[in-house]
Amino acid sequence: MNRSLVTALVLAAAVAGPGAQAPQKVAVPFDYHTLDNGLKVVLSRDTSAPTAVVAVYYRIGFRTEPKDRTGFAHLFEHMMFQGSQHLGKNEFIGLVESNGGILNGSTRFDFTNYFQIVPSHTVETILWAEADRMRGLNITQENLTNQQDVVKNEVKVNVLNQPYGGFPWLDLPQAANTNWYNAHNFYGELDDLDAATLYDVRQFFRTYYAPNNAVVVVTGDIDPAATLGWIRRYFGGIPSSKLPPQPDISEPRQEKEKRTSREDPLANRPALALGYHHPPRDTPEFYAMGLIDQILVQGNDSRLYQALVQKRGLTGSVAGGANPMLGNMFDVKGPMLWTVYMIHDSDKPADEIVKVIDEEVGRLQNAPVTREELELALVKRRSQLYAEQEEFVGFGRANLLAVFALFDDDPGKINRLEEEFRKVTPELIQRTAREYLRPTNRTILTIAPKQEAK
Amino acid sequence: MTARPRSGAPLAAVAALACGISLAAQAPFPPQPPKPGTPKDFQVPAPKRFTLDNGLQVAMVQWGNMPKVRVSLTVRTGKAFEKANEVWLADLTGSLMREGTATRSATAISEEAARMGGSLAVGAGADTTGVGGEVLSEFGPRFVELVADVVRNPAFPESELPRLKSNLARELAVALSQPQQVALQKFRQVLYGDHAYGRVFPTNEMIQGYTVEQVRQFYRATFGAGHSHLYVVGQFDPAAMEAAVRKAFAGWSKGTLPAAAAPKPASTRVIHLIDRPGAPQSTILLGFPTIEPTSDDYVALTVMDALLGGAFASRITRNIREEKGYTYSPYSEVSVRYRDAYWAQNADVTTEHTGASLKEIFAEIDRLQATPPDPKELSGIQNYLAGTWVLQNSSRGGILSQLRYVDLHGLPADYPNTYVKKVFAVTPQQVSEIARKYVKDEQATIVIVGDRKVIEEQVKPFGRIADQ
Repeated sequence: MNRSLVTALVLAAAVAGPGAQAPQKVAVPFDYHTLDNGLKVVLSRDTSAPTAVVAVYYRIGFRTEPKDRTGFAHLFEHMMFQGSQHLGKNEFIGLVESNGGILNGSTRFDFTNYFQIVPSHTVETILWAEADRMRGLNITQENLTNQQDVVKNEVKVNVLNQPYGGFPWLDLPQAANTNWYNAHNFYGELDDLDAATLYDVRQFFRTYYAPNNAVVVVTGDIDPAATLGWIRRYFGGIPSSKLPPQPDISEPRQEKEKRTSREDPLANRPALALGYHHPPRDTPEFYAMGLIDQILVQGNDSRLYQALVQKRGLTGSVAGGANPMLGNMFDVKGPMLWTVYMIHDSDKPADEIVKVIDEEVGRLQNAPVTREELELALVKRRSQLYAEQEEFVGFGRANLLAVFALFDDDPGKINRLEEEFRKVTPELIQRTAREYLRPTNRTILTIAPKQEAK
Repeated sequence: MTARPRSGAPLAAVAALACGISLAAQAPFPPQPPKPGTPKDFQVPAPKRFTLDNGLQVAMVQWGNMPKVRVSLTVRTGKAFEKANEVWLADLTGSLMREGTATRSATAISEEAARMGGSLAVGAGADTTGVGGEVLSEFGPRFVELVADVVRNPAFPESELPRLKSNLARELAVALSQPQQVALQKFRQVLYGDHAYGRVFPTNEMIQGYTVEQVRQFYRATFGAGHSHLYVVGQFDPAAMEAAVRKAFAGWSKGTLPAAAAPKPASTRVIHLIDRPGAPQSTILLGFPTIEPTSDDYVALTVMDALLGGAFASRITRNIREEKGYTYSPYSEVSVRYRDAYWAQNADVTTEHTGASLKEIFAEIDRLQATPPDPKELSGIQNYLAGTWVLQNSSRGGILSQLRYVDLHGLPADYPNTYVKKVFAVTPQQVSEIARKYVKDEQATIVIVGDRKVIEEQVKPFGRIADQ
């Protein structure tokens, strides 16, 4: 199969007021292929710098890791750097860095990714290395033990020895969700991390790390034809596997507000997070929620910033959004939460803050927004779409192309998002706020400090 | 398949052809990585520079293909100009500046910037304070006008002061609950003593005591066109932008920057233990003063640093993470301020391996001082620095930071395009020489935040433990 769609990078001028420079429209060019073994390939040329992003995404995230092995999807991600057939331990990292690149991997709800940002003349070398580890790992017990130690240290530095560790990205899904897949400890219990065996590593690799469960994305200053040739050469011979059926990761409609509190002995100020189940991916309400997000919480002009920070001084900043701290609203396939969170003072209790949030949400539920407010949300959302693409020296664009190929078989979605947001009406925003920002659709998490600092 | 013989079970998934496609038609997978192609030429984009009559220096760079533009008015002021009883006054000045101008409220500024698809922030650093943000290209000239209004006509409304002080007090409390921040505070205090660089955090009392008059005074004393730069990077109409800049900043007073005291960092081999009872990790910050960016040896120092602890493939990281598993994210750095720098190794290590981690860090330093690195190891690091140099200069934010760096330190205009050459000129012998000359491990200040009762005995062999 070889579908190809090439669009030139178009900077089309639209109508603008007198004296103003015309607004520009961005269209991302790309080629999309699927190899015989099921590997999806997305190539997107951008010559603004002599760099390239090579990213491989596997359709396995921490959500669906084995039930008796919490944290395993992430531990496994570490194993992908511990040796493949032609690259021993440290050699993958050494190869990338000595070719002038940087690299990382990350484990998220519905995928695990591995990416390199490199000088564009080294793309073939990097593709070879990624193919080598998709072909098979070569892990010793010593390397597994080493990475169990490293991951336990990661949990310690980010959670166990850190005030507000895991707040709210790790805490809130566990409190808000009812389905184990959405509600377990994604970083992993230390006992479960210790229990992992080489057998587990082998099984997990065989099950999920197959070409028909992956996408390779290369963006940047590349020759798409030559790049496709290298991908065919290095990845084409890797056999596909029979993938297990996706487990049921759905969440039932929440009918009752949940409240939960956690004591944080390392923190010295209280913190508050609210999580609302987000409208399902790709529904009209999904895009409406993307604009509600802009109206309520993104930027200092947002209603919650104005109400909580600017007018009342209940806190110093308000953070939030869909999939906060881990990505954006597009790179999750299954259920997610729209979240608002902040650190505040004990003399400005959480209830007072929640009351103000309810007032602001109530305004959205009780009357449609004005055309002007909708336009403001749209311009902010458009700007954020560009920011999401440019994030981390262009990695963001590869990320979006990867998830749209992997989840939707449709990388071209990257060019239709703006249009989808444009379809949202004031009435739809009101309806979406009424259904999804119901108090009964939310979980309120409070962090109680052990002692207030003087 | 040719799985590399190892002590464990080889995990060659390719050998497990459960339901795969025949490999017969495929060419064999090459056992060695293919050689990279020829690097493309890369030049850090050159700015168009001009200076207004009041001394404001403007640098504009057309870059990229996304319809955005980044603007930063960078004033040569910041924490370095705070007196001993004024810690974070630069931050408070920045926050209060953002609260409105003679003609715009804070909310109006936020809404105007939002309608341009952006936001406007004021950020105080050690040596510079930035006012600016990023907007959609078509609004670039209007954003420049907004930035100019904020920096030239701040209202400094007293009504907002209590709220902003509460915010600073909260930020202080949160920072002091983070072991890395506690370590940094101690480290800077030991290195810089009474100098402003040594004062990372104020006291709560200090924050509560600040007045609007102090803020106004700090503003009057340290803001002015004569020691400011305006940077514009991205896509914009050059003529319209230049006209907007000239109009917005014409007539802004020149100002005179007061002299800031020169730092005199000093370090001796002493361990500063800060107790964090029950902590599962020890936060280590270990370092000493070193040469700064105008020194002839500076680029060679950064090469040495990347090889020793700066890169993922560096020696210290490979040792204490990939071999020993003591830690997750160790890193070394050359931390730079105006005419000042220190080298530091940071690591959060398992409590029971605190002493062992120190041993390995010092052993790696000793090894590099004693023996030049293998030329292949060095060339890998040189390629890494050359490649990441391109990445650092391939975004609006990166290009802007580079301009600011060159201007702050007064580096020659050709610095961005001679850097890579200097990196490749470093020899293995020089790396060792640099390590001997500038890595003063025998004088290292060692700060450890951890569970004192468990780690005290472990760390004793590495230096005198300071009295609390």
